[in-house]
Parts: sequence; C-alpha cells; structure tokens
Amino acid sequence: MTKPSGRSLKAAGVLLCAVCAAFGTGAASIERPLKRPSLSAARQARNFRVEGPVRRRPGAAYAPDRVLVRFRPGVDETYADGLLRSYGFPAVRRIPGIGVYSVKTAAGISVTETLAMLRRNGDVELARPDHRARLADVPDDAYFAGYQYALRNTGGILAITPYLQYQTTAGADIKATTAWDAVKGDAETVIAILDTGVDMTHPDLAGKIVSGGHDFANDDDDATDDHWHGTHVAGIAAAGTNNSTGIAGVAWNCRILPVKVTDQTGSGWYSWIIDGIVWAADHGADVINLSLGDLVDDPFLKDACRYAHDKGIIVVASAGNDGTEGVFYPAAYDEYVLAVAASDFNDTLAAFSSYGPEVDVAAPGVWILGPAPQWYVGTGALPYLFASGTSMAAPHVAGLAALIRSAKPDLTADDIMKIIRYTADDINHATAPGRDDHAGYGRINMAKALAPYIID
Amino acid sequence: MRLGRGRIRAGLAFCAVIGLVAAPAATTGLAAAQLNVRAFSAGLGYEYLSRTVVWDGDTDASRLQASLVTARADFEFDNGIVFSLSAGLAPTDVAALTFNTLPIGLQYDGAPLTGFAFGAEAFAPIHQYSNFEISGTGRFVYSFGMEKTWPLEDFAVEGEAKGSLSWLEAAIGGRVSYLSFERIIPYLEISVRWLHAGFEMTETLGDLGGTETKRVDDLGFGVALGADADLTHRLGVKVKAGLVPYSGGVDGLVTVGLLYKF
Repeated sequence: MTKPSGRSLKAAGVLLCAVCAAFGTGAASIERPLKRPSLSAARQARNFRVEGPVRRRPGAAYAPDRVLVRFRPGVDETYADGLLRSYGFPAVRRIPGIGVYSVKTAAGISVTETLAMLRRNGDVELARPDHRARLADVPDDAYFAGYQYALRNTGGILAITPYLQYQTTAGADIKATTAWDAVKGDAETVIAILDTGVDMTHPDLAGKIVSGGHDFANDDDDATDDHWHGTHVAGIAAAGTNNSTGIAGVAWNCRILPVKVTDQTGSGWYSWIIDGIVWAADHGADVINLSLGDLVDDPFLKDACRYAHDKGIIVVASAGNDGTEGVFYPAAYDEYVLAVAASDFNDTLAAFSSYGPEVDVAAPGVWILGPAPQWYVGTGALPYLFASGTSMAAPHVAGLAALIRSAKPDLTADDIMKIIRYTADDINHATAPGRDDHAGYGRINMAKALAPYIID
Repeated sequence: MRLGRGRIRAGLAFCAVIGLVAAPAATTGLAAAQLNVRAFSAGLGYEYLSRTVVWDGDTDASRLQASLVTARADFEFDNGIVFSLSAGLAPTDVAALTFNTLPIGLQYDGAPLTGFAFGAEAFAPIHQYSNFEISGTGRFVYSFGMEKTWPLEDFAVEGEAKGSLSWLEAAIGGRVSYLSFERIIPYLEISVRWLHAGFEMTETLGDLGGTETKRVDDLGFGVALGADADLTHRLGVKVKAGLVPYSGGVDGLVTVGLLYKF
C-alpha cells in the first residue's frame, strides 16, 4: 500500500477501518462463512432451464371490445346483471369471488365511451379497460430466477446452502422485471464504483467496464480488485444482463467505471475517497456508488460530494452496518447523497442496518448474490458469493439511478433523488407510517420509478 | 402563451381556408356578383373524426378521436357561395398517449376530454358541366378548453397531474356534385386535411414537478361521399362519410347536419 499523498494530510488521520458490509462489525460475521455458493447450488444452477427474454408485443394497450366493471358494495348481483344487460352489452361475464364483470362493448361503441357511460352510473364503483398484460423482460442469467430475490421475488425458498434456507415473501423485491420492460438503460450511462476495485476479467463484468479506472490506493491507472467487495458491488449494480451467465445487474445496459479507493484489506483514507469522487465526476460518471463510509464527518468529503452533485451526478452511499443510530458519512450528507438502508427477502429491515434522519431509502441487502474474483473463491469454484450489508443495498439504488438517468437525461440529480425517494414502498408502514429513520421513504420500487403511471 | 398560439393557428387556418375557397370563385367571376344573403339556415350538427398520428417524440402511432356536437348556421349568398359557422362541444379521446419525459412517466388512458369547438366551412361553385358541378370546399374546426386534473396515488408524497388538450383540423378540397335529382344532391369530395394537436401535461409530486407538451402536425387526404337533401321545402339534411387513409390503415369521418331554412 502506498502512503497517503501530501495533499490529503488533513484527512489522513482518519482511517476507514470498516468499509461497510464486509468490514463493518455486523456484516463481517454474516458474510465470512458464505463466501461462495455450495457445490449443490452450483449443480442446481447448471440444471436451470433457460428461456429467452420475452419481447414486448406490438398492439393495443387494452382490449378494444371489452371492459372490466365492479359495482359498489351492497349492489345486488341480479340487479347488476340486469343493469349491464340493459346497456345492450352483447356479453356479460361475472368473475366469481371478487365481483368483477367482464363486459363486451356494444357494436360501434368504443371502450372509452363505454367506460364513460358506466362511470356515470352511481352504482358502479370502478370501470377500467381490460389492459393487456405481458410477461415482463426476464433476463436469462443463470442465477437470476433462483437466487436474485432482490430483483424479482416470487416467494420461493432462498437456498444459500443445503442447511441455510429461507422462505421468502413474494413481492418483497424492487420490481426490476416490470421496470426493465420500460427501461434497460444505455451503455453511455456510467456508474462509478468507488470501492476495492473491480475484477475486470470477470465473465459477468468484462463487457461492462468503461476503462481501467484509477487506483488511488496505489496511485496508478489499474483499479483491479485485490479484495472481493468492489467486484460484488459492481455486479449488483450492472453485471452483464441477459448474457446467460451468472447474475443480472440492476442497470441492464449501463456500464461500470472502477475506482479503487481502499487497499487490499478494505480500508482506505478519506483522501483517497475524496480524490476518487472528484476523479469519477471528471471522468464521465453519471452515478457514483460508495458502499463505504465511517462515522467521522469531514468537510472535505462533503465538498467532494457537493462537487459531484453539482455536476449532475447522483451519489449513492450505504448507511452503515452498525445497526445503531448514526448514519455513515458520506451517506449522511443529506443534500448531496442518497443514504441507503438494507432490507431482506421479506421486506423486513436488516438488524445490522444503521439508521438516522439521513436515511433516504432501503434496498435488499441480505444474502445478495454477486460476482467475486476467481482467485478469491478458489479454482474450480463458481466466481460468485453471497454477502449481506448496506454495501449490497446501495448498488441496487445506484443501478436504479442509472436507469432513470438513461431514460431521462434532462433531469437534475435532485430530481432523480426525489424520484427514487417518492416512488419507494413504505415497507414498515405498520410500525412507522410515512418516512422514518430506519427505512427512509421505504424500499425502492423500480417499476414505480420507471414504468409510466396510468391515468384513467 | 400556448393557448394564444393555438388561437393564432386557428385564425390563420380560418383565413387560409376562406381565401383558398374564395379564390376559384373569384376567378370565375362569381365573386364579382353581389354578396347578398340568399338563404339562411340553422340547425344542429354531429361530426365524428379519427386521425391516427405519431406524436412528436413517439415511435408508435396513437389515435385521436373526436365527436363534435354543434349548433350551426349556414349563409348562402347570391353567387352560390355557402358559408357556415358552428360552435359546440367536442369530447376528444387520445387513448394511450404517454408522457415519458416527466419525472414520473404518465400514460393517459382516461375518458375523453370535453372541450369547446368552433368551426367555419365554405363552399364555392366553380364550374358546371351538364349535370355535374365542380366546386371548392374548405373548413376548419378548433377545439380548446379541455382541462382536467387527476390525483397521482400510491406515492410517498401527494401528487397530481393536470392535462390540457387542444386541436385544430383544417381541410381544403374539391367537390363534384350531381345535380339532376330534384331534392337530393349527391357528391364526391376529395380533400387535403391538416391536423394540429397539442396536449400539455403538468405533473406535481411533492416538491418534484415537470411539464411535457406533446404536439403533432399531420397532413393527410380524405375521400368522402355525401349528399345534401331537402326533406321539405324548409328542412334539409346534410350527410357525409369518408375515409382518411394512413400508412397501415384508414381513419374515418362522418358528418350529419339537420338544418332549417328561414
């Protein structure tokens, strides 16, 4: 490890001894025995059936001759049947159980005219078009269906090892597949991963790397990972997606700019991070992910975050893994940085997730599968591992920020931060309705942030 | 500002239509005749029009459909020129129009928006060959005042969307009428039709907001068959049905008018 540069002496006294998940007290104990998927998991993976992505079908957004109607509570079924027939609808079918009628529109009468007519009737509670559903864009990455509950949770068993399995809750996810149907991002949008570096030869990352980046720990232009943490974080944000390999990244088409700001132990000086933020901001980053931090406030670190933010860059950072009150810096720089807490496969907040008024949103950060350097997992093992921490939560948010930036390049960083906050699902509504210090506005919801809201 | 621009467009379209229709009549010397009103009629009109268009910034086509219910007055001058004015309501449907540059994208799938409509139409005979008459026709209709607000629900903060739609259609063309029947004059009409529409959507979600205006200018041509019939010596009916082809399909137009001659 090279010595800290002279210009960084002000910050050099502060050593980042715990770089979030892997290095924080909470996460380290979780991650260590789970460095790689078990052999049984690997065999299962090879047996996964692989289907190609389902494409969007052209055509009408809803059926041109059918609407769905529900009457107000208390409206008698016989009366409702008779009322619908009195409109002259050629076919009326009641869907049992939920009291919804599927109604074929009269000849020559459009869906919108039919809906307007029904909505004028005081007995009708709701009348809507019969929208076309389609299978969302599901990537063919080998471990997507079985392990990436964070992106799409269908409620199955998450099998970390044969002995470590969890029942998950369907829908406790960030709704990635629905969002991908609307936006997959573009390769011009770049996520800078300020971390331990990135394994640029990893099969799930090699095609997504913008350049060799910069290594502020060793002061060279090779930000290769000599740990595992940065590779894992980069993969969560933007691993090669729909490439039949490994995992899917949140930002399907966006690319990664590796910036190494810690040494091989996972520790780094504030000066390296400050340098890294400024360097990334000046080298094409649209989003900066900082899965690291500490409890020490530093005005220079804040200045660096402001610099990036003022250049329109969305800065995302992990809240910390102490499980106590006190959000890490830089996440706690509320004006310039999105602070991310960690939730799990049941939409429950992780016990290790730090909290405070600066927390903006939560994202899955428990048992997250991501890429790891081959040298780290060992020859013959699959180059992936499970890890937990707010470090794993933050890149989910960074990926979402990159997709929003891709779709709406004219929005400011502030706008994108607000979109991410305001579209979050309030997962702890029962105990703390509205924004709170543990989950912020809630667990991010990519579909609400990216798919159009339907006015009807 | 937006509404003002729309009204300027409507005014320009009006002038253009009247000018283009009146010009051929002037060349035949008809305009040189006196401009006394020979007949005045008033009544009700219904018109349906649909236009499949690609709004600026979109890749997919969507359909604008309007149903106009209007009160109408026709002035027939001694030289044969007929000038009509109409005003009424125009429910307009722009199903599945999306506003993707707003912070939260919006897709409009709501009920038709109802606004005001006013229009003008001119008809000028140009030349007669035996039982056939060639004439010039022109019309424009402008619909405005369609505004509505919708709540945006299921977000962490309160929000609403406010939409405002206006459109203008102007057409100019020629008509060949068959004059040998006593009480009915059938005709074939070919027209060039220009549609301009603008839909401004403003979104507010807490302290986040944005405005997106979708616009479209579309030029097409239409072919229509119609007839003007006298039911009695005072009561008349005007009907017209036509097609406006576009790449991949056809749109339709239907006009019905019931007029009383004073």
